[in-house]
Amino acid sequence: MAVTHAAPSGYAERPRPSGLADVVDVILDKGLVIDAYVRVSLVGIELLTIDARIVIASVDTYLRFAEAVNRLDITQDGGAGLPDLMEGMTESGAKSKTKGALEGVKDKLPVGGSDDDDGKSSRRRRSSSSSSSSRSRRSDGDE
Amino acid sequence: MAMSEVYVHGVTEAGARAVIEGAGARAVADGALAAIVTDASSETRAADLMRRHWQVLEAVAATATVVPVRFGTAMADEAAVAAEFLAPRSDLLLSQLASFEGKVQLTVKGSYDETSLLRSVVDGSPAIARLRERVRGLPEAAGHYERIRLGELVAAEVEQVRVRDGNRLHERLDGLALATSREPATGLHGAVNSAFLVERARMAEFRRAVDAVAEELDGRVDLRLLGPLPPYSFVAEEAPAWV
Repeated sequence: MAVTHAAPSGYAERPRPSGLADVVDVILDKGLVIDAYVRVSLVGIELLTIDARIVIASVDTYLRFAEAVNRLDITQDGGAGLPDLMEGMTESGAKSKTKGALEGVKDKLPVGGSDDDDGKSSRRRRSSSSSSSSRSRRSDGDE
Repeated sequence: MAMSEVYVHGVTEAGARAVIEGAGARAVADGALAAIVTDASSETRAADLMRRHWQVLEAVAATATVVPVRFGTAMADEAAVAAEFLAPRSDLLLSQLASFEGKVQLTVKGSYDETSLLRSVVDGSPAIARLRERVRGLPEAAGHYERIRLGELVAAEVEQVRVRDGNRLHERLDGLALATSREPATGLHGAVNSAFLVERARMAEFRRAVDAVAEELDGRVDLRLLGPLPPYSFVAEEAPAWV
């Protein structure tokens, strides 16, 4: 059944999820818990949350931030000349230059590949966890 | 065979049977309640199961009030759903349904454009700008710790921006909602990820407010509005059988 929503009024209108990341954010760990019943253990879910909710405070993250900042195209002497800045802001230029740190995170989302994903990665979920010390938030004691 | 295991997606009123079936699911009714279930028999990828959960609940919620059950919940068979899930906690479920009538969840997600975010961080902090210059002049191996330090400083700045923008957004939107849930934004460039429980009748007003916030944030944040959604973030977590 197609669900139609009120006519879009602006930029922000996107009632449907733009990718699996949205779905994960909205539904995972949300909703009524029926205690003491069979809970299906879904392969990949654990991994998915760990990757999606990547820990900000880690050396790995710091290095990625540093790399991204280093690649920024800012004039050497800190003056950040306006024309230069403006030029950097133009979509094609800036966006393609700094794909680094953040795109990398998104690509990591290990579940994907179906038609309505945002098409960025069709990577299948990985079978082994390389999640190191990052803890997902979905421990059951989580309030 | 014992292969009749079902996924339980949510609960609604028993009268919504046709809606449930229209959504590609089955209704398991008990008294005034109906559980929304689908087959768990075939092997399915987690991603597809998540989409199924999302789509089924979204379709039912378009015309009925729904209480979502946590994703990944399965029970032995339909009889168990009626006897062990619905029947023992019907009062609780009915009161939850009543409390969500006429209300929807609207989720506001925002992300930063990496380039402009990091640019503003560097421009705004002389310490970061200086360290950046130093690191750029060093060979990879030599600058390892400076690099980490630089990233740490940047991460801290980004976090501050995130908190400030999140506060601003909530200041503007909380007043239009019956309840709010501020949740961690996904990924390094996640800006906000917040759920709002809103009267259906005030959805348009809420949308306009989100538009206004987006402008206020100067386009630094790419804001998106998801919904109307079932009240995922506002359901009481535990559903003991005896309340």
